[in-house]
Amino acid sequence: MFALREIAICLAFFALLYSFLSALVAVTWRLLRLLPVSKKIIADLLFALRVLPLLASIILTLAFVVPSFQMLEPRSVDERMGTMPVILGICAVLLILTGCLRVIAAHRKTRRMVAQWLDGARPMDTDGNANTVTIRAEHGAPPIVLVGVYAPRVLVSESTVEILSDDELQIALKHEFAHIQSRDNLKKLVFRFCLFPGMTELENTWSQTTEMAADSAAVSKVGDAVDLAAALVKLSRLLPGEATAVCTVGFMTGSISDRVARLLAWNAAESRDARLRPYAIPAVLITLLSVFFTYGPALRLTHEVTEWLVR
Amino acid sequence: MVRSFSIFGSSPQLGPFEQQLLRALWEHGSATVRELIKDGKVRQAYTTVMTTVDRLYKKGLLDRVVEGRAFRYTPRHTPGELQRVAAFEGIRQLLGSSDTSSLPLSHLVEALTAHDVELLDELQLLVERKRRELHSNETSKQGSARPDQNPGQNKMRGRR
Repeated sequence: MFALREIAICLAFFALLYSFLSALVAVTWRLLRLLPVSKKIIADLLFALRVLPLLASIILTLAFVVPSFQMLEPRSVDERMGTMPVILGICAVLLILTGCLRVIAAHRKTRRMVAQWLDGARPMDTDGNANTVTIRAEHGAPPIVLVGVYAPRVLVSESTVEILSDDELQIALKHEFAHIQSRDNLKKLVFRFCLFPGMTELENTWSQTTEMAADSAAVSKVGDAVDLAAALVKLSRLLPGEATAVCTVGFMTGSISDRVARLLAWNAAESRDARLRPYAIPAVLITLLSVFFTYGPALRLTHEVTEWLVR
Repeated sequence: MVRSFSIFGSSPQLGPFEQQLLRALWEHGSATVRELIKDGKVRQAYTTVMTTVDRLYKKGLLDRVVEGRAFRYTPRHTPGELQRVAAFEGIRQLLGSSDTSSLPLSHLVEALTAHDVELLDELQLLVERKRRELHSNETSKQGSARPDQNPGQNKMRGRR
C-alpha cells in the first residue's frame, strides 16, 4: 500500500508540474526571439524550453518527491488517499504512454517512407566529405533530405544532382551536415514525446530557426551564401518540395524567401553573431549550492505539498 | 488588406475612412478623437470621426477607456493579426462561394502556384544580380592587383 501510494503521489506531482511548466513555456517562449544572439543559440534555447517541462518534472520528482516520501512518510500509518492523486497519476501514465506511442509511430512512419525512398539508391561520391550520402531514384522524396536518428544519412535526388552546380551541391550538403552535428532529427523525435497542446508554433519556429542556423554553419564566405541561395531557389522549383516524415529534415524547410534574403545579405562581420556569455556556469553552480544547503527544508516542504495533494 | 473581405464573421466590410482611422490608430498606439483630428491626417468633422471610431469599436476592432469626457481608443489587433484574420476569412468565403467546392479551391491553388513561380523568379533574379556583383568585385580586385593588364578587358570580364 505504501509503495502504491508513493507511486501515485510521484505521478500526480509529475503531472501537475509538467502541465504547469508546459503552460508557462507555451505562454512565454516568444520572448526568446528578442534575444540578440545567433540563430544557433536561439534554436538551442527553443529546444531547451520545449523539453524543460519534461526534464524538470522528472528531475524534481526524483530528487525531491521520492526521497521526501521515503524519509518523512510514516510507514505504519495506513493513510487513505483522495481521488485527486489517483486521477492525476492516471493522467501522468496516459501522458507517458501516449508520448511513447507517438515516438514509436513516428519512427515507424519514417522508416517506411525512407525504405521507399531508398529503393534503387546508390552511394554518392562527395569528395570524401562523408560516406553517408546516397543517391536514389525518384520515389516522391524531397530533393535533399536528412534521414535517421542514430546513424543519419543525407539522401539526394538524381534531379538535384542534375540541376545544381558542384559548388551549390557541396554547400547544400554542408547545410545538411550541420543538421547532423546538431542532432536535429533526434530533437524532432523528442518533441513527439513531450506532448502538450499549444506547442506547434514553438516547434515550427524551432524548425525555421534550425534551418537558418544550418545555413549559417554551412556558409563561410559570400560566395557560399550566394551558392546556397541559388540552390534553394533552384530546388524550390522541383516537386515535391518538402520532407513530410517526422524524423527527417528537408533542405527546403521554412520560408525560402526569408532564407534567401538572409543569405544574400550575408557578411562575415554579421555572421559572428553575439553569443551568450557563459552565465550558465555560475548560475548552475549557485543552484547546486543552494540545493545542497537547503535540501533538508526543501524535502520537508515537498512532503507538506504532497500531504496536501493526498487529501 | 481589408478591402475585399469581411473581417469578423458577419460584420460588414471596412470602408476607406474606417481603414484610414484604423491606420491612424495603429500609428498612434492609442488616441482620442481630438488627438486624431489634431494630428492633421484626418480632415473630417469631429462628429464624423467620433461616429466612425464608435462603429469600429462596435465591430470589435477597438478597445476604449474613459478619459475625462471622451474615450481613448486602442486597436485590439496588430496589422499582422488583422491581415491573418482577413486572409482566413477571405479564403473561407471563397471556398464557400460555389456549390462545387473543389472549383474555387483549384483557382486558389492555381493562383498560389502562379504566385510561387513569380516569387521564385524574383528570388532567382536577386541571386543572379548578387552573383554578378560578386564576380565583378573579384575581377576588379584582380585588375587592381595586375595594373599592366588592359582595363577595358577587366570591365568586360566583370560584366560577364
